[in-house]
Amino acid sequence: MRELRSEAWGALLAFAITLAFNLWPRNPYLMGAFTFVAQPLFVLAAASYLWKVAVTLRG
Amino acid sequence: MDLQRVVQVLATLVCVAGIIGAVIVARTRFRSLRPADSISLGVVTLSTVAFYKLLAFAGLAAAPAAAMVLANYHTFEGTHEVRACNGCHVMRPMVVDLMDPGSDTLAARHAKNKWIPQDQCYGCHSDYGLSGSMAAKAEGFRHLVRYTTGFYTEPIRFRGHFDNANCFKCHAGTEAFESRKSHQDVRQRLASNDVSCTNCHGWAHPTRAARTPGSADYARLMQNVLGKSRTQ
Repeated sequence: MRELRSEAWGALLAFAITLAFNLWPRNPYLMGAFTFVAQPLFVLAAASYLWKVAVTLRG
Repeated sequence: MDLQRVVQVLATLVCVAGIIGAVIVARTRFRSLRPADSISLGVVTLSTVAFYKLLAFAGLAAAPAAAMVLANYHTFEGTHEVRACNGCHVMRPMVVDLMDPGSDTLAARHAKNKWIPQDQCYGCHSDYGLSGSMAAKAEGFRHLVRYTTGFYTEPIRFRGHFDNANCFKCHAGTEAFESRKSHQDVRQRLASNDVSCTNCHGWAHPTRAARTPGSADYARLMQNVLGKSRTQ
């Protein structure tokens, strides 16, 4: 299995933004951060993780 | 406990668990894990390799998916509330006017007479049906980008075209509406949006002049009537 450090730190940042948005859901800046930063980060981290899993399984 | 509170509690738990999981995964050296080592979780014992692989799946795939689904509840359902619109200070004049019992704008009359008892902003500014609601949400994302990046000027201006169908969804077919000759005369033009309901029924919100910074009404219209906000 390859290392997953960058994916994990990316997901960590996204979780922190999501947590803040969840606690103050009417703050438009947090909503913007969740929508345009956290969600893409989650998707990128998950895609990179799944790619590494696939490469490991094939290798 | 209402649904929003339940979602908030669940999302908080998922996010905290995700943060802990992500930190552990970030600090784990997968290449140096030994399959012979095991971890006991009380009811089950796993090899360290299996445990950290499951943790990586949970922290990088399952928990993010759950967090996104739960947090998007606030994005899609929470934004139906007037308080959500009030979060952006440029919308304050509309909300202050909406809550003002002395105002005679269309929005205020609909609120104080309980014609639309709750979620008044969404009630008039989202078309019926899935396509209409999705269009309203797409417009909401555009507003979010412009507000958070500062690409707007006060007073804000409604760029789109107000669809009379938003009025028709409540008024069409009612005795009060259908019996009016003036409505019958322009029924087709109302249906095709060639004529706006507000042409005869007055301003829906405070005028642009009143909402302009420095105007006599601006300070009154910018009061936060729905409590403390963190957006200013």
